Amino acid sequence: MKSFRQIQARSTQEAASLLAEHGPKARLIAGGSDLLHLMKARILTPELLIHLKTIPEMGSIREEAPGLRIGALTTLRELETHPLIRQRFPLLAQVASEVASPQIRNRGTLGGNLCQRPWCWYFRGPLFQCLKKGGSTCFADSGENKYHAILDGGPCHMVHPSDMAIALVALGSKVKIEGYQKERTVPLEAFFLKPLQNLLKENILEPDEIITEIHVPQPSPQGKTVYLKERERRSWDHAMVGIAAILAMEGKTCHHASIVLSGVAPTPFRAAAAEAVLKGKEIDEGMGLKAAEAAVSSVRPLRHNAYKVQLAKALIKKAVLAVL
Amino acid sequence: MVFSIVGKPTPRVDGFERVTGRAKYTGDIQIPGMLHGRILRSPYPHARIKNIQTAGAEALPGVKAILTCLNTSVQWSSGDSSNKRYLFNNPVRFAGEPVAAVAAVDKYIAEDALELIEVEYDPLPFILDPQKALDEGAPRIHSGGNLFQGKPYLYERGDVEKGFAEAELVFEDTYISKLVINAQTEPRVSVASWEGGKLTVWASTQGITNCRADLARDLGLPLNKVRVICHYMGGGFGGKNQAQDLDLIAALLAQKAGRPVKLELTREEDYMGIHGRWPTTQQYKVGVKKDGTLTAITLKGFSGLGGYSKGPFRPGAIAGARELYRCPNVKTEVYPAYTNVLCSGNYRAPAYPQGIFGVESFMDHIADRLGIDPLELRLKNFTTSGDGTLPYTTNLLEESIREGARRIGWKEKWHKPGERMVVPKKHGIGMAIGLFPSRVGMGAAMVKVNADGSIHLLAGVTDIGTGAKTVMSMLAAEAMGVPLEKVQIISGDTDVTPYSVGESGSRTTCFTGQAVLDACEDARKRLLAVASRMLKVNAEALEMKEGRISVKGAMEKGISVEEVAGKFPDAIVGAGLTDVQIEEMARESFAAHFAEVEVDADTGEIKLLNYVAVQDSGTIINPLTAGGQVIGGVVMGASMALTEELIYDKATGIPLNPNYRDAKVLTHLDIPKIEPVFVEKPDPFGPYGAKGLGEACITPSVACIANAIFNATGIRLKELPLTQDKIVIHSS
Repeated sequence: MKSFRQIQARSTQEAASLLAEHGPKARLIAGGSDLLHLMKARILTPELLIHLKTIPEMGSIREEAPGLRIGALTTLRELETHPLIRQRFPLLAQVASEVASPQIRNRGTLGGNLCQRPWCWYFRGPLFQCLKKGGSTCFADSGENKYHAILDGGPCHMVHPSDMAIALVALGSKVKIEGYQKERTVPLEAFFLKPLQNLLKENILEPDEIITEIHVPQPSPQGKTVYLKERERRSWDHAMVGIAAILAMEGKTCHHASIVLSGVAPTPFRAAAAEAVLKGKEIDEGMGLKAAEAAVSSVRPLRHNAYKVQLAKALIKKAVLAVL
Repeated sequence: MVFSIVGKPTPRVDGFERVTGRAKYTGDIQIPGMLHGRILRSPYPHARIKNIQTAGAEALPGVKAILTCLNTSVQWSSGDSSNKRYLFNNPVRFAGEPVAAVAAVDKYIAEDALELIEVEYDPLPFILDPQKALDEGAPRIHSGGNLFQGKPYLYERGDVEKGFAEAELVFEDTYISKLVINAQTEPRVSVASWEGGKLTVWASTQGITNCRADLARDLGLPLNKVRVICHYMGGGFGGKNQAQDLDLIAALLAQKAGRPVKLELTREEDYMGIHGRWPTTQQYKVGVKKDGTLTAITLKGFSGLGGYSKGPFRPGAIAGARELYRCPNVKTEVYPAYTNVLCSGNYRAPAYPQGIFGVESFMDHIADRLGIDPLELRLKNFTTSGDGTLPYTTNLLEESIREGARRIGWKEKWHKPGERMVVPKKHGIGMAIGLFPSRVGMGAAMVKVNADGSIHLLAGVTDIGTGAKTVMSMLAAEAMGVPLEKVQIISGDTDVTPYSVGESGSRTTCFTGQAVLDACEDARKRLLAVASRMLKVNAEALEMKEGRISVKGAMEKGISVEEVAGKFPDAIVGAGLTDVQIEEMARESFAAHFAEVEVDADTGEIKLLNYVAVQDSGTIINPLTAGGQVIGGVVMGASMALTEELIYDKATGIPLNPNYRDAKVLTHLDIPKIEPVFVEKPDPFGPYGAKGLGEACITPSVACIANAIFNATGIRLKELPLTQDKIVIHSS
């Protein structure tokens, strides 16, 4: 790791102004579970670290009708255990409980989880100068791509690593972003960028911007939620495919479906085709299968990840039938 | 024999220090003025180094010494068993091979200095696949060719052609195992310090005396000018036998800088820089009668050695086909090949878990095709003599198989493959047998009976995590007839403790343990001789037990050990040097393992549900640490079976996942209840009847899990690891 200076920010504005002043030489740090890894591998060599955990208002969870405001510094462990989250948004608590490992959940924050850099081994490997690091090659394209994207990939084939993102997108969350002397709130779904939109970053944050809060609307009382995460290890593993689904049901009829997948695309992937299939339909096994087929109709698997297509289909069907 | 200490579950004598963080591991060593070293490693799998410029690094404030192939021609003799391997080689033969090393006042400056070293490489063609490495025209890795020592390992008994002629059915198939890394908790680390002409190295080593011998040889020093110390160790699993390159590099950096140097590998370096388990391709042909009687087995195998042949004993061998069955006609030929990947070396039962994965998967397959219960096939054919001729000292394989079957409920649970479904899960049960020799020799020990009757036990072992300190102390306490608390073990320091081959080859309890008993016997004789004079009774008429020396059968006519020992100002010393090798018999530890799994019919998710590991290791000295070893062995095997693999990028020859997270070592949540079971029959040659344990317990585990997955799904996966994606692809 390269040596660096550090400052403990006392407010979001102070942090934003430091970012504006130092540009890419400065990095924000909260839990550090992502950043320190990149620094140890010298993939990032910031000269200044701006600590966010010293900002008091950024770690709170509060009710704000009709929904919740979750501070970006809330740890995954807090999401997993907080009574308000457990009662009102059990989906979020469940998703958080399956992220990484207890040690990482104790350190890792919601904001950091959403802003994680890819865990593609070519990106993380210091010897590969890949597209995301300003190079000219995606090594995964013809390389070891078992864990890479089957949808929306190219020219970079990363998958977005955040589990929290798919649940929050499925819930229709918004993200509050503060920059130096400015702020904006955008739907979380519009927060993420595909490689075709920008190769060097995964979201819309400008150099001086910070995620400060997530606003989660109260779901409709008929909404049934399902979360499934397939991974090779039961702890400390990213999703090969994950699914967060919210189906508004009346009896066996689905009025509205919100289905978002992880592990398949460079951003949280909304399975809009599957949602359309289900809307207004009576749910049964055949309908589950139909939705699954629709969701993967535009897949472009790579050499080693065709299994993800089957897995995504299996999970969509499983999730749809789970609401019955 | 009735024991008072042996056989009782006994907590580790150093457990408190270990779990409270007070134990000083090598990484905890701090010496005034100590520098920190870092190693620059090759980014190419095969390249000639044209030039190295170190001026920029030398100019960095805080840098005190730099080593490269240009200024260092020291050989690392245990780094290759058949070629000359230097600390810094040119050409480099795998990505991760050391190119230079720096010592600086802290590790961050040392790391910065690495970036300032300019190396000009001339990349050479490289080869990753062992089988292709033997093709004509494949890039040549060593001047003698890519086949280790120019010839395959051959073994033959009986006449396989005759055996196949007698067969009613002949099966052929290929199984593949991958490169996996020892992944011990404590990364490799070394601290070196010179005082005058004497070198002291605090190493993280499985064998202090071998480490010392290697350092002395490679640095041209007499043995008494090298001291190796290792008091606590966080695991080795074969990965820390002998001296590692970092021990030598630390010593040379310290010599050059004139200050002590600590060299600690990062997890990534530990994964990609030293060695792992050799990958194999195993082509089997098996002849069998319809009743399941084996008539012939042949194996043609290929194994990958990496850039150097690091294993000191038959690197690249594939065990199982020769050893497991009493089939009269067996022929194996194995081709160990150099490749441009990380070296392969010793890793817990080096040739066995991967070989037995192949053999035992295939036997399971054959049983299925014959319509025979796989357990019956084993009972019909399991080995009853070493290589078909040597009787075993003891062999409880049959008892192990029957006991395991009873505990797991084989009769009730076994079913035709893929036929038991608890929607949406498919249930499966599998078993496999394994074994590992108990014959790596030489151990030495000394026992000092102090003037107050307390005992110092000096043994050359390093406790690599197995509980060796505890087991050695228990043996001494039992032999001397004193409570365990009276024994203080001193180990892990070559200036103080006697010889040990090293804690490898499942040998410590068997061989150093026997030396402990011999040393105790020697001390006992000396005590009795003194007591004989004090009591004016012939020594033969005396016995020593419960801390007293008395006339046999008359405890009251005696004196305490303290009174006898107290006759001397210091201590009565007994010594033992043992090499219990038996030529006319085979001494093996056996295992029969059983696993239950469930596999999700829709997603292919594999879950290990239950595991029973039955071991025949003779007398178990300490059931607590022995049980821990078995559980650890099964966890390693499960990891190798289900998830682990060091993956190389084929285009660049660079490893992609050299860390715990991406190489997917299993975690606690993946491991079910593992029940270690010991079927005990004293071995006539081991201390109190003990045989080896630490390696036998991993040998059947990979196959056992593979067979349970087959029983659940009806899918026979022939390439490790048995990951979910492979199930999904096979199912669709």
